[in-house]
Amino acid sequence: MGTIVEVRGLVKRFGELAAVDDVSFAIEQGEIFGLLGPNGAGKTTTISMVSCLIDPTAGSITVDGNEVATAPGAVKSTLGVVPQEIALYPTLSAQENLAFWGQMYGLSGGALKSAVAEALELAGLADRAKERVEKYSGGMKRRINIAAGILHKPKVLLMDEPTVGIDPQSRNHILETVKQLNAAGMTVLYTSHYMEEVEYLCDRIAIMDHGKIIASGTLNELRDVVGGMDVVDVKVTEVTDCVLDRVREIEGVKQADRTDGAIQVLTPSSGSVLGKLVATLESEGAHVTSITVTEPNLESVFLHLTGKSLRD
Amino acid sequence: MSPLFTIAAKDTKIMVRDRAALLVMLAMPLGLIFILGSALGNIGEGDSLDTKVAIVNLDEGDTGARFVEGLTSSEDIDAVFNISVREDAEAVRTEVERGDLTAALIVPADLTEKVLADEPVALEVLQDPGSQMSAGIWAGVVRAGVANASAQIIAAHTLQETFAGGAAQGAPSGTVGSPPSAQQIPELAFDAVTVREVEVEIEKQVSMISYYAAAMSGMFLLFGGMFGAFSFVRERREQTLARMMSTPSGKVTIVGGKALGVLLIGALQFIVLYLGTRLLFQVDWGTNVLGVVLVGFAETIAAAGLAMTLAALGRSERAIGGIAPAFIMLFAALGGSMIPAEQLPEWLLPAQVLSPVYWTVDAFLDLMRGATLAAVAPNIAAVLAIGLVLFWFGVWRLRYE
Repeated sequence: MGTIVEVRGLVKRFGELAAVDDVSFAIEQGEIFGLLGPNGAGKTTTISMVSCLIDPTAGSITVDGNEVATAPGAVKSTLGVVPQEIALYPTLSAQENLAFWGQMYGLSGGALKSAVAEALELAGLADRAKERVEKYSGGMKRRINIAAGILHKPKVLLMDEPTVGIDPQSRNHILETVKQLNAAGMTVLYTSHYMEEVEYLCDRIAIMDHGKIIASGTLNELRDVVGGMDVVDVKVTEVTDCVLDRVREIEGVKQADRTDGAIQVLTPSSGSVLGKLVATLESEGAHVTSITVTEPNLESVFLHLTGKSLRD
Repeated sequence: MSPLFTIAAKDTKIMVRDRAALLVMLAMPLGLIFILGSALGNIGEGDSLDTKVAIVNLDEGDTGARFVEGLTSSEDIDAVFNISVREDAEAVRTEVERGDLTAALIVPADLTEKVLADEPVALEVLQDPGSQMSAGIWAGVVRAGVANASAQIIAAHTLQETFAGGAAQGAPSGTVGSPPSAQQIPELAFDAVTVREVEVEIEKQVSMISYYAAAMSGMFLLFGGMFGAFSFVRERREQTLARMMSTPSGKVTIVGGKALGVLLIGALQFIVLYLGTRLLFQVDWGTNVLGVVLVGFAETIAAAGLAMTLAALGRSERAIGGIAPAFIMLFAALGGSMIPAEQLPEWLLPAQVLSPVYWTVDAFLDLMRGATLAAVAPNIAAVLAIGLVLFWFGVWRLRYE
C-alpha cells in the first residue's frame, strides 16, 4: 500500500485571512483518513483544493501520482466528491440524478444503468428510485448525495461533513456505507466536526484548527497527547470564571476548561481529585448535578490542545 | 452523450417540470397575443383619420417649395393628416409599399421648369389601395392644392398685367389704354400641372394579432435567458455547479452546456408559440418557414447570451428577478413589442439597434409580409451579434463560486 494522496505545504489565503495555513498530510491507499475540527477550521477549503475546485495560494497536492496543478483532469477522474451540501436536483428523481452524475463521469449505456442500480442499492433507496428528490427526507437526500459520488467507482472518495443535520438512523446508515466502501478498497478522506464519527471510522486523523493541523496520528496516538490522564466532566448549575480559577488551583488538576454547561478537568489521578473538586464547587455556590470520568477522547485532545470545545 | 449535451438535456428536463417557468414562457405570451391582438385588432386595419402621409419635394426651383408650404401650413390639413416632409423618394415609396405610410406626394424635380415653360407636368400621389378613403382624401387635397395654386398664379398674372398696363401708359406704343393681349403676357399657369395617382403595390398587410404574435415571441424568447440565469445561480447556490466542476468536465463544457440548455428550451418555446399562434389564432407567419426558424434561433442565441450576462450580474435569483425583467422590457419596448416600433419618439429610434427584440420583430413582420431570407439576413446577423456580445460579457464576468 502506497501513498495515494499527498498534500505538502498547502496554503489558501482570502485577502489577509489564511483559511489554510501550511497544511501537510499523506493518505495511504485503502485507509480512511479523518480531518477533524470545528466549523471554520479550514477542512472544506482543504477538501476543495484537493478536488480542484479552488486553486491553492501555495503548496502542492498529488493524487494517485497526478499533480492537481498540472493534471486536474486526471485527478478529477480519480476522485469521487461528496459535498457538504445536498448537491442534487430536487425536481429530478433519484434515478435521474444518479444517471446525470454518472454521465458527467463518462458512464453510458449498460455501465451507467448498472452503476445507478448499484448506487441505489447501496443508498437503500432502490424502491423509491423514481421519486423526486424533493420529496425525500434529509437523511435520504444525504444517502443519494453520497451515491452520486461513487457511481464511477473512484479510487479516492472525498466526503465533506456528510452527516450534517440528519437523524441518527440515517447517520448510522451512512457510517456503515463508508465502512463498506472502504472494505471494497476505496480510500476515503472524511471531514467532520463530530468526533464520535471520526473515532469510529478513521484509521488516522488530523485535527485542524484555524487553518492549521495541530495534531495527527491514529486515535491512540492522539489520546497519548493528553498523556494518559483521566477526563472528568462535571456538570454544574453555573460556571463562572471565578469557579474555574478555583478548580485550576486544586492539587492534581492539570487542566480545567469550560465546555457546554460543564467543566472538563484533566487529571492523572481522578480518585484523589474528585472529593476536592466537589467540595470546591459547592463552596463556590456551583451546585454539582453530575460527574463523569472517562478515558481521553478526541474532544479532550482538542480541548487540551486549544483550550476550547470542538463545538465552540 | 457528451457532458455538453448531458447538461443541456438535464436543464431542459428541469425547465419542463417548472410550472411557473412554463406559465411565463408559454401561457403568458399566448394570452397577451390573444388579448392585445383582439383588443387592438381594428387599429391599422381600414382607415384612420390621423393618416400618415409624406411629401418629397424634388423640385429644383421654388414652385415646389411654395406648393409644399401651402399644404403643410394649413391647419385644416394638419388636423386630418400627419404630414412629414422627407427627402428620399425611394424610402418613402418603400414605406407606402410596406403600409407604414397611407399615401405620399412626390413633387418632380422639373416642376418649376415645366410650369414656366407651360409644359405638362405631373405631381405623383402614391397611395395604398387598402386605405382608399384616406389615400383618396389625400389625392383630393393635392388636387385642391393644385387648383388653388393655379388660382393664385392667375391672380398674380392679373396683378402683373395691371402693373404692366400702368407702366405702358407713357410709352409711345399704339397699345396705350388697351390691356395686353394673352399672347403678349406669357401664360404662367398651374393648369398644366396634373395629379397622377399611383396605386402602389402594397406588401401583404399584417393583422394586429399577427403583429403581436411576432412582437410577443420576440420578447418572451428572451425570458428563456432569465430562466437560464436563474438556473445558473441556483446551481451556484445549491453547489451542483461546484459538483459539476469537480467532475472531469471543464468550465467551457459546463458553461457551453448551460447555454445549450437555454437554446434547447428556447427552441421548444418557439415551436410551441409558432404552432400555438397558427392553430389558435390563425396567425400567418408567411411561407418562408426556414427564415422564421432562423430568426427564432438567432433570438434564442441572444437569450443564451442574456442568460450569461444576467448570471454574471446577479448574485442571487432574487437579484436576477429584479434585473432581468427590466432588461427584457427595455429591449421589448425599444423593439416594438408594446407598440409598433415606428411610433416611438424619434429620439429613441437610434437606440433600437441595440435591442435584439427590434431586429427579431422586424424580421418576423417582414417574413409575414413575404420577405425573402436574404432580406432578413441583416436582422439575423444583428441579433446574433448582440447575443454574442452578451455571451462574451457574461462569460467574462461569470462567477463560479
